[in-house]
Amino acid sequence: MTMQAEIVETPEKGQQEHLFEAMQTALPSLPPVQLDAFEGPLDILLHLIRKQKMDIFDIPVATITEQYLNIIETHQALDIDVAGEYLVMASTLMQLKSRMLLPRVEIDEEGNEIDPRDALVAQLMAYEQYRMLAEEIDELPRMHRDVFKRAVFPEADDVERPLPAADLEGLLAAFGHVLKRMESEVRHRVVLETMSVREQMQFVTERLQQGSTQLFDLLGNHAHREAIVTTLLAILELWRQRVIQVVQTQNYAAITLLLTVDESDTSQEGEV
Amino acid sequence: MLIHQLEAFIFASDEPLSMEKLRRFFQGVESSELREALSTLEQHYANRGIQLMQVAGGWQFRTAIEHKAIVSQLWQTRPPRLSRAMLETLAIIAYQQPTTRAEIEALRGIQVSSSIMGGLLERGWVKVLGRKDVPGRPHLYGTSKQFLADFGLKSLHDLPDSSQLMSAEDIQQGELPIQQHTQEDTDRAHEQSRE
Repeated sequence: MTMQAEIVETPEKGQQEHLFEAMQTALPSLPPVQLDAFEGPLDILLHLIRKQKMDIFDIPVATITEQYLNIIETHQALDIDVAGEYLVMASTLMQLKSRMLLPRVEIDEEGNEIDPRDALVAQLMAYEQYRMLAEEIDELPRMHRDVFKRAVFPEADDVERPLPAADLEGLLAAFGHVLKRMESEVRHRVVLETMSVREQMQFVTERLQQGSTQLFDLLGNHAHREAIVTTLLAILELWRQRVIQVVQTQNYAAITLLLTVDESDTSQEGEV
Repeated sequence: MLIHQLEAFIFASDEPLSMEKLRRFFQGVESSELREALSTLEQHYANRGIQLMQVAGGWQFRTAIEHKAIVSQLWQTRPPRLSRAMLETLAIIAYQQPTTRAEIEALRGIQVSSSIMGGLLERGWVKVLGRKDVPGRPHLYGTSKQFLADFGLKSLHDLPDSSQLMSAEDIQQGELPIQQHTQEDTDRAHEQSRE
């Protein structure tokens, strides 16, 4: 907090009262403050009252209203949600200011005049109490800030976790479980490619040079999925390069592969 | 030996151990014996680096507060400072529970954001106790055991003194507190709060 009320030290005591009066009427100009340093309108009012050592039971409403409005006005770009509460307080203060000018007509059960400021004073004092209690709660010995217990703190980086004591039998049993789990839980295995598409293209071309053949005859020789896929890729690649032709006479019929004899002859291309 | 058993038992526990729990595990031991042993232990640790503390209705070993600087070095991160908004909201809930968000807002004179309530709930300091039987059936909030444990309180009676607290209703009725602070008191309090 950098905010300071303008309470000037005067060398002569006589001037002090005069100065105070001047403050009341001519409005001390307070240095700009950050609204987000405050926790709402009550906080601002308490700040103004306490900093200027005003009597909370006899708040100079006119002065406090002007000072409050000054603080609010310097923050026009207020968040609209937040602004609402500050503006409500502004209107409360202005209403209070005008009521202070009127003769007191409201009287309580005991016949005393009701000070229109009472409600605001009650609110301010209640808030001030909680503000103080909040400070006191903050000063209580806080776990992980002031005191620590014997426990693993989640962010601990140097915690040594002792190894559990184990006997051989338990270790073997655990190892057995792991092995069992491994058997049933092979999810993904990466192996080196044992066949290449290029090799299979060579193989398919060689086969077809001996005469046309059925697709399933070519694929059926291979036991492994990998071989089937590679062969199929090889066939597709050869077809794309128009080295071979693929013919199917009707839906679901056998697919025949044959070498392209004449480069210009593409009329026999079929659908797979 | 009972004292040594108790010492080991409390040391090994992650939670503050209540009398009921101790009674359950130390069957055949009179409550008065337990209490006496606890008090002996408490005195034994009174001037040590760790202390036997009574928090959240149980007993727990904790490091003494004067060693916080050295002990906190064990961790790279420190718990973040709590905002005033969060602390004030927590204070109102602690003293006014069960209370609603609207009542908290009435006392603070400003909205209580969801992030503040969320933060308090997430830390486990505040919990929903139920719903208030008024239109809208708003949640009633109160503090938890975790709050007592984390703030080193034996119970809610152990909260900082609050003789003249006003509720949201008092304020609506425009009641003034009976006991008036002297100007000096309030000034001093204010200076502290602004430091």
